Order: sequence, then C-alpha cells, then structure tokens
Amino acid sequence: MTAALELAGVTVAYLVEGGDDVVVRDVTLSLQRGSIVGLAGESGSGKSTLSLAAIGYAVPPMRMVSGSAALGGESLYAISFSARRRLWGARIGYVAQSANEALNPSIRIGRQLGQVLRIHQHLSGSALLAAEIELLERVGIPDPRAALRRYPHEFSGGQLQRIAIAIAVACRPEVLILDEPTTGLDVQTQQQISALLRALVAEDELATLYVSHNLALLGEISDRINIMYAGEIVERGPTASVLAAPRHPYTRALLDAVPSVARPRRLVGIPGRPPGRVAAVGCGFADRCAFAQRECATTAIGLTELQAGRAVRCRRHGEIALSSPAASLAHDRQPPSEAEPALEVRHVCCRYRAAGSDAVRDVSLRVAPGETLGLVGESGSGKSTLLRAIAGSHRPASGEIRLHGDVLAGSIQRRPSAAKRNIQLIFQNPDSSLNPAHTIGEIVRRPLRLFREDLSRADEEGEIVALLESVSLPPEFIDRYPDELSGGQKQRVAIARAFAARPTVLLCDEITSALDVSVQATVIEILSQLAASQGTAMIFVSHDLAVVRTVAARIVVLKDGAICEEGPADQVFERPQSSYTRALLAAIPVIPGERSLEEDARQTVS
Amino acid sequence: MATHAISTPVRARRRAGVWRSMLQTVEGRVGLCLGLVVIAVVVIGPYVAPHDPNALGTGTALAGPSSAHPLGTDQLGRDVLSRVLSGGRTVLLAPLAATVLAFLIGGMSGMLAAYRGGPLDSGVSRLFDLFIAVPSLLIVLVVITRVGTSWPAIVIVVALVFSPRAGRIVRGATQAVVGNDYVSAARLRGESARWVVARELLPNAAPAIIANFCLYLTYSIIFVATLSFLGLGAQPPSSDWGLMVASSRQFISVNPWATLVPALGIGSMAVSFTLLGDALIRQVSRRIQVGGGEV
Repeated sequence: MTAALELAGVTVAYLVEGGDDVVVRDVTLSLQRGSIVGLAGESGSGKSTLSLAAIGYAVPPMRMVSGSAALGGESLYAISFSARRRLWGARIGYVAQSANEALNPSIRIGRQLGQVLRIHQHLSGSALLAAEIELLERVGIPDPRAALRRYPHEFSGGQLQRIAIAIAVACRPEVLILDEPTTGLDVQTQQQISALLRALVAEDELATLYVSHNLALLGEISDRINIMYAGEIVERGPTASVLAAPRHPYTRALLDAVPSVARPRRLVGIPGRPPGRVAAVGCGFADRCAFAQRECATTAIGLTELQAGRAVRCRRHGEIALSSPAASLAHDRQPPSEAEPALEVRHVCCRYRAAGSDAVRDVSLRVAPGETLGLVGESGSGKSTLLRAIAGSHRPASGEIRLHGDVLAGSIQRRPSAAKRNIQLIFQNPDSSLNPAHTIGEIVRRPLRLFREDLSRADEEGEIVALLESVSLPPEFIDRYPDELSGGQKQRVAIARAFAARPTVLLCDEITSALDVSVQATVIEILSQLAASQGTAMIFVSHDLAVVRTVAARIVVLKDGAICEEGPADQVFERPQSSYTRALLAAIPVIPGERSLEEDARQTVS
Repeated sequence: MATHAISTPVRARRRAGVWRSMLQTVEGRVGLCLGLVVIAVVVIGPYVAPHDPNALGTGTALAGPSSAHPLGTDQLGRDVLSRVLSGGRTVLLAPLAATVLAFLIGGMSGMLAAYRGGPLDSGVSRLFDLFIAVPSLLIVLVVITRVGTSWPAIVIVVALVFSPRAGRIVRGATQAVVGNDYVSAARLRGESARWVVARELLPNAAPAIIANFCLYLTYSIIFVATLSFLGLGAQPPSSDWGLMVASSRQFISVNPWATLVPALGIGSMAVSFTLLGDALIRQVSRRIQVGGGEV
C-alpha cells in the first residue's frame, strides 16, 4: 500500500539575520490512509514547523532547504505555490490549535464553511446548503440549519473546534493535519473531540498527522508515534511499544515528567531547555541527557532501525532499554492533621453583578498547615473565583473566610498587613504576573521590603540570592528582566516572590498550565519541596487531574460553583463517589503501560 | 545600593536598544535627519541671520533671490532668509509647551480613570468624548477672540483642546497593561495607588504614550501655525512661519520663496515628528508581539 503523504529528508530553515537557522532536519515520515501518526515533543522542537512543511506551506521567513513531499505520488514541492493552494482544503485538510483564532469572528459560520466548498467543489445554492448541513451534522453540531447563521462567538470552544474540523474535512481530503487540536479544551470536551476525529479518520480513511505535546493523548489516539527533539525525529514506532518501552533518553525523560492520574508519581523534570534549532554535530539532546557521553556531542548519530518498525537516534539505546525507570512514588504526603486549620472557608458564596447565578455556591473547606489541597473542576466551575475571594480580590456575597481562626475582611484594603503577608497567590501565567519593566531582583525585593521587618536593607540582597537559589535560579538573574527568561524560569521567579513573604497559606492558580511537561515537573518539584520544608498550607487549583494527583493529599471537586466531591486523593481517584468525578477521570487519557495503585495491589495479591 | 550599581548599565543598554532599532527603520532615520535639520535652523538660525528680520527696506520690495537676499525680500522689503531663520522658534516652542501640558492634564486623569475603573472611568471617558465632539478650532477661535491673543493664552487653550484626546490615548495605553496579573499582585501586596501607577503601570504604558506624544506634537504644530495664518496667533511684525505664509501668500506669484520656504519649514517639522512617532509605534507594537516569547 502506498502512502497518502510521503515526506523524505525534509529540512526546513528560518531565515534570520546572517543566514539560515535550520529548525527541522532530514525528516522522513509517511502517512497511510485510515491511520493516525502522532508527532510529539516540547514546544520549540519543530513539530509545528514540520506540520506546515508537510503540506508545503512555507512562507518567509520559513524556507524549505531540501527534501521532498509526495501527495499520492505527486510532488508537493515541485509545483507552484498557487497549484499547492488548490490542493489545500481539497486534498489536504488542516486544523489549527485554536479554533477561536482560526475562525473569523465577524463572518457567519455558514459563509466560512461554505467558502471551501464553493472554491473546490463549485457548489452553490441548495446543493451548497445541503452539503453544509450534512457536514455540521457529521461533526455533531446540534440544529445545524440555525448554526450556519451564527457567528463564532455564539459557540463554545469545543463546538468551534468541531466546526474547524468540519471545514478541514469538507472536501473529503486524503490527508488531515491536526496541530494540537484539543489543547486548551476541558478533558471531557477533549475526549469527545478525540472520539469524533477517530470516527472521521476511520470513515473517510484519512491519512492523519496528529501533532501534540500530550503523550498520554497520543498514546490513546495514534497508531504510530514520532518523538521530535531539536528538529529531528529521535524515536519512532508503534505508539504502544514506544511509550511502554522507550529506547531514547528523551522519550524516557518526557515520560518521567508526565504526571499520571493512575498513580501519584514523583515527577522528574528535564534540566535546561530545547535549543530551538538543529544541533550542528552530534546529538541535540546531549547537554540535557542523563546518559550522555563525550562522544554524543561530537559524532553524527543516525536513526537506527530496530525490530517491529521501530527506530531510534541514540548511541546507547541498548542500555536505555535495560535501565529501570526513574519514576518513583510521590513524596509521602502528610495526612490531614486535626490541628487548627491554617485556612478555613465557611459557606462562601460569590457572584458577579452581570451573571444571573452564583459563581461559587456555599463552599466550605479547610486546609491544615503543611497540607496541600487540590481544587479541581472544569473552566467555569468557580475555582478561580473562590481563590480570588480567599486572596481578597473578589468580595464574597456571603460566608466567611478565616485565617488561623481570625475572620478576614472581604477586600484586601481592609485586611491587616499580617493577613496580606500570610496569604500569597501564584498566578497562572508568569508572562503576565511579572512586570516586564522590573528586574528579577526588584520583583523579589518588593515583598521583602513590605513584609519582612526582620530584614535590614543590607540583608535584602543576600535574601534575594537565597530565594533564587531555593528555586534553582543562579544569582546573576537578579539583574535580568523577565523577557530574558523562559516560561519555567519566570514561574520559578513567581514562586520565589511568593515565598519571600514567608506565607502560611499559598494559593496556586493553574500555575503549570502554560508550561511544557518537562518544565512543569521541575516547577512542581520545587514548589512541593519549599512548601514541605516551610510547612506552608497550599491550595492547588488545576483543571489537570493528573497534576493534582501528584501534588495534593486531599481533593475537592467543584462543579458549577459547588463542591460535588471531597476526600483524600487516593480515595477520590480510585473510588470516586460522584458520577461527575467518574466522568472526569474516565475522560483522561492514560499512558499505555501505566497501572493504577489498585491494579498494583491486585497484582501483588495474585 | 549594590544592585542598582549593577543594574544601571543593563537598563541603559535596554534603552539604547529601543532607540537603535528605531533608527534601523527608514521612517526613524528620515524623521531624525529631517528633525535635526529643522531644529538646527530653529535654534541656530536667529544667530546666523544676515539681516534683522524686522528691518524694513533692506532691499527692493518683493525682489527675487539675489546674492544679498538668497530668498529675496517680502512686500515690505524685509529679508526672507533672515525671517525664516528667526521665525521657527514660536512654531516649535508654543506647540511643544501645549502638547506637554495636554499630556500632563489629560494623561493624569486618563491614567487614574483606567486604574480605578468602574463609574469613575466611564464618567471621565464620557467627559473626554464630549469635549472631543466640539470642533477644536471653534473653541480656540471663540476663546482667543474673547481674551485677546498672546502666547500664554494660545498655549493654554491649545493644551485644553488637546487634553481630552491625550487623556483618551493615555487611558487606552494604561488599560492595555492594567489587566496584567502583576497589577493584581501589587494590589494584593497592599501597594498604594501611587506605587501601582508610577511603578507598575507607567513604565509599561510609556512607550505607547511617547509615540502618540510625537504625533500630537505634529497636530499641535499645524494647529498653532493655522492660528497664526488666521491672524489669531503671532502678530505682525513677528516672523513666525505661519504668519509669514499668511501675509506673503498674495504675492506668491512675485516672490514664491517668501511663502513656500516657511510653509516647507512647518511641513518638515510636522513630517519629522510624524515619522519619529510612526517608527516608535512600530517599535512598540513589535515589542508587544515579541514580548512573552523567548530571547
């Protein structure tokens, strides 16, 4: 069987001042009809560039250097740009990451969907309308006739992605390229979209390339997987086999960094960051690799073909297969103590003036000193609002919040300085929470100046260095500005700023959702260690249940502003009581080969 | 403090970076060259003028260019070159003072409105809209004819006319940064409003404000020149460029230089600030796009 899309030796560069920056090198890939090929890697590994190169979409500064792409035997690179444009939409469908941005907000859905049919299939009038309705029905949009007349903002994120998929498959293409199609969606929506994609691929026999950073998701949906690092495929093969028994240190390291809902694993981050371009000689991963030897950085390393369609680009793949995984169980987490809670929330309700119903409805919870409480729920469940109420930036409509037994005022201005100091908040997006006009030193210094009377001005300098060290950042960072740091480094600065005040309660609002898994693992390790060593009570808010399982000892599940389940983490994850929690857990993809604690126990008994 | 000793050069480097990359654009380079030439004329001009700009009958009235009068003479026999060299000062200084004043008045209210939000913000914004809706030339004409013309009066009235526009710009620039989490973080630390505005908001809104300041300086130059042209600004025998254009335009067919050169001066001044402002705005928006990305 010939491949629907065949890439051979594809090399792509970005034109920069003073020459070419090679970002993808010598990639060979083939897509068969009816099967899904996964492409995984950290951000900056070149996977999005490769997906564009695969369809011949190279606009400056991106430049094809060499290689070939064949669509059903016909070369994509040999034909003109306008000839290629006639293939896009007709024979090649493309779904971008954010449907929000891919669809024009000021054009009705019907026009945007009809456009591709008008151009490629020359449909019009009632034939066009019938085709549009049929398409929307196929992707599961309710009441398609009415939907055609609506604008993008009238749909939810999941529905928009369905519509974007409908546009991509409208002309029954042979090839479908998906670039992170479910990133940013809730787990349940993600599961539904995945199911839809799987059905479409099977029905239309689409040759599909699925780009994602989510290994567990690719583990469920893809037949074969390619792991990409620094512009090269470092490992490829049947998905289940690659993820269950990785042979490349990078694949292994990625898997060690991925949190799991099945068991609370200790996460191991990957030090450093991807280079963003191809290494001139040797292995691009050598400087971050635990297995690296001197020769790795100096000798060219090709893909070694192994058995069963697998290939790996590593000199030491044999040893890696034999070594045992680094992952161990997470820290022993302190059981909730009976002592006086650090923070207590009693019957709190919050509402926004514009909204009709309450964002938070009668929520009560308590966190003991040193304890980490995981607060989970989908977007709109009220978890961020509750956090803002505790932090003092949203005044609750009713109920009370107690810090070490004292009732707190609703607004921050009326709280005593000690309360401001004792409750610290870490924000979701470090790009937004660190002032770009201030140096890292100035950012960390401010809480010291405000809250640490014990420090003289002369001691501040040393304390800043110590705080940076506690989040594994070098002292030189004092004079850097936030835009000189990577996302993970910025989030670590935010953690240092929070701990500078020596808080007793730390609120974390989705603090790893903007980070790569390899970086997320490091950030979570640093945070857990600091909180454990200082006995800080923590409320860890996340929509990612696997992350919460890794850090939290007790879980509260929020739905529509109210608590729907609460209990120790192991109980909530292994024996969920509410049907909502069960549905949430069922929607999360699990890496093949990962067993839950209960399965472990069963294995030991038998 | 030790950190400051280290961080000053870093800061200087960053600042120099913005200016350098601004000069890499064509607009930036042309704008800067033109601006320097015009400013040189305005500053040095009065000292190198060959004649007293107001001396009558230095030569035959309305003569064309000659070696004694490179740009000829006007209808009263005054040397056009000397008048051009000495007449740029008011064209530049009055609008500059007015624009600075406008950005101070409007800027402070706009920034406060964006920071406080809520009813204060909508109140101030409506007020801005209301004033912008009235034709600005009309306001100035009425006020100046009432109080009589003088440079302080012109500066104050033009500043008042431009302040709601400046306010709207500063409010917009502030609003773009006020939603950032570092502002919430500062509020949750219990920082005073003064700290938040001066240390968290202003440094991040400044590039956009400075860029728009350049553009408004242009409008203001043209506006004040218009007033002089209409006879409400500079008064005879001043050699103000706007007034020169107005008084010599009826003789344009006899000695065109007396009209065209001052007009060109006003034009170049306006164009150079517009180009500089454009280059800055491009720089700012590029930084916003790049911001958050990797180094």
